[in-house]
Amino acid sequence: MSRSRQQVVRMLALVPYLRGHDGIPVNEVAEEFGVPPKQIRDDLRLLMYTGVGEYAGELIDFDLGALDEDGVVYIRDADFMPRPLRITSNEGVALIVALRTLRASASGAQLPIIDSALAKLESAVGEGVDLPVDVLVEPADPVIHTTLVHALAEGKRVEIIYGTASRDDRTTRQVDPRRLFTENGHLYLEAWCLRAEDLRFFRLDRIEAAELTGDDAADHEAEPRDLATSFFTVGGDTPYAVLDLDPRAHWLTEYYQVQEVEPRGDVLRVKLFGGDWSWLRRLVLRNAGTVHVVEPASLASDVADDARAALSAYDGTDPSKE
Amino acid sequence: MAERKTERLMNLIFALLVSRQYLTKEQIRQSIADYRDSTQQAFERKFERDKEELRELGIAVEMGSNDKYFEDEVGYRIRRDEAELPDLALTREEAAVLGLAAQVWEHSGLAGESTTALVKLKAAGIEVDPDVLRMAEPKLSADEPSFDVMWEAATKRIPVAFVYQRPGQPAARRRVQPWGIISWHDRWYLGGFDLDREAPRIFRLSRVQGEVETTGEPGSYEIPEGTDMTKVAAALFPAKPDSLAVLHVRAGRGQSLRRLANASTPVDDEHDEIEVPYGSAWDLAAEVASYGADVVVVSPPEVREQVVVRLRAALGESG
Repeated sequence: MSRSRQQVVRMLALVPYLRGHDGIPVNEVAEEFGVPPKQIRDDLRLLMYTGVGEYAGELIDFDLGALDEDGVVYIRDADFMPRPLRITSNEGVALIVALRTLRASASGAQLPIIDSALAKLESAVGEGVDLPVDVLVEPADPVIHTTLVHALAEGKRVEIIYGTASRDDRTTRQVDPRRLFTENGHLYLEAWCLRAEDLRFFRLDRIEAAELTGDDAADHEAEPRDLATSFFTVGGDTPYAVLDLDPRAHWLTEYYQVQEVEPRGDVLRVKLFGGDWSWLRRLVLRNAGTVHVVEPASLASDVADDARAALSAYDGTDPSKE
Repeated sequence: MAERKTERLMNLIFALLVSRQYLTKEQIRQSIADYRDSTQQAFERKFERDKEELRELGIAVEMGSNDKYFEDEVGYRIRRDEAELPDLALTREEAAVLGLAAQVWEHSGLAGESTTALVKLKAAGIEVDPDVLRMAEPKLSADEPSFDVMWEAATKRIPVAFVYQRPGQPAARRRVQPWGIISWHDRWYLGGFDLDREAPRIFRLSRVQGEVETTGEPGSYEIPEGTDMTKVAAALFPAKPDSLAVLHVRAGRGQSLRRLANASTPVDDEHDEIEVPYGSAWDLAAEVASYGADVVVVSPPEVREQVVVRLRAALGESG
């Protein structure tokens, strides 16, 4: 939607909004409408040239003294528009899909609230039931999810058992939950970890158990962490391997961080980045046969060592017949 | 839209909204300065464009005549009862949910649409305080260049054609009747009927190359009754477990497999035996192989063999 069309939509909502909020500060209006205060002032200035006619009393008016001196808005001569316009089909569709997204990552007692909000919105828009947009989120254990939501709402401390993927270990820790969010289609918990004495992110499908400790969560002085820097990003010292990918492994380029993709016949030579070396080692083992290590030599020999050790378990003896 | 046009449009909306009768074109022209100051021809052009603009804003302009006997004098009005937002009777919690929903989109266009929807609710006097509820705060982005066209095509049933390239395969032109659009793991997919393969297919939007061509009018085909997009997109999701594997896992290792296990018993001080349900022997073998000597397949033989094949290939890596 163009800026000017957005302005028309906003001004049409401003009129009934301001009628219902006599004396509201411009800054508060700006915050509610999600635009800078200067934009609201521009809107008000333009609104003074509009109305149901061109004579005094027919044009919308504002108490300019209050606006200039105190930064507050009193709208006059706008009784002809007591209610906002309908939510349009495009607006409704955007909000309905957003609600479906909320629903996909909600749990327990929240679901009926989302469903009733959805139903009311759909009936007002006349859109929804057949709307062909689905948002799917990796499911999390409903018991664990509900426990975390409860802890979050009530400010309770939780003990979790957590498995990390790259280091392949499993720890028990007490955490004070701060929020739940999604990243890359996975649900995450942001919490103060008492063991690390810092904020940590936990992927919900890697939490094996969660129980309330019976204690209240404490307040911790901590800056909210910036997601962009906390999640995996490629930097100067990020470990990487140069790999040759057979056609059956080309899909890896869509899922992982790769650079310098160079086709060599059927084979793609890529630089693939990983969180750490053990993660890269596991990636090569997982796709062995279709992924070949070019560099570094240490990765190639580590992979071969792992494979040799593992194969010895299969050699000759069948463990089920031991 | 220049400021003058914005002003004119607002006045047109207000005039049509307050009038109980149909306003004739001439009445409209006389009541709005910018129309009045234009030549007849310029007025006609502006009025047509403004009506189109109102339609795109989702405001329905009704045409009709005040006098049954002189129907040649057509007039215009906006029906207040149809134009105004009805009372949604939202509870505090429902309003909070809508407030949270308005923060979900990271796609600028759709974020804008959901914000204006929320603003209308606020203008209707609904107090929106998202802090009433503590729940997950999901984000929905859409960075794929083809997203806007595909979104429109899927929601309005517009047939499309595009160049599609799967990794490791040559690019090919595909002609599709979209049935729906799905977000999974933060990526968008289009599902629909592939006109050349004459079968339902799923397309990952990031694999669409160049411009998407629309090849028909909105609503120019029907979506078959009972279409379930999650079934059309079944290939995206892991296969449903229908078999059971027995694995020996070193103590404290193999977390991703232990999470799936429905039974675990110690075999010795250093190993547990776990039972893991699986749907794809290929996928399970890949996961087992990734743990090297920490995880060994006991049964079934099919999975054992596939792990061994992978490990032998990995052994070749040392050259």
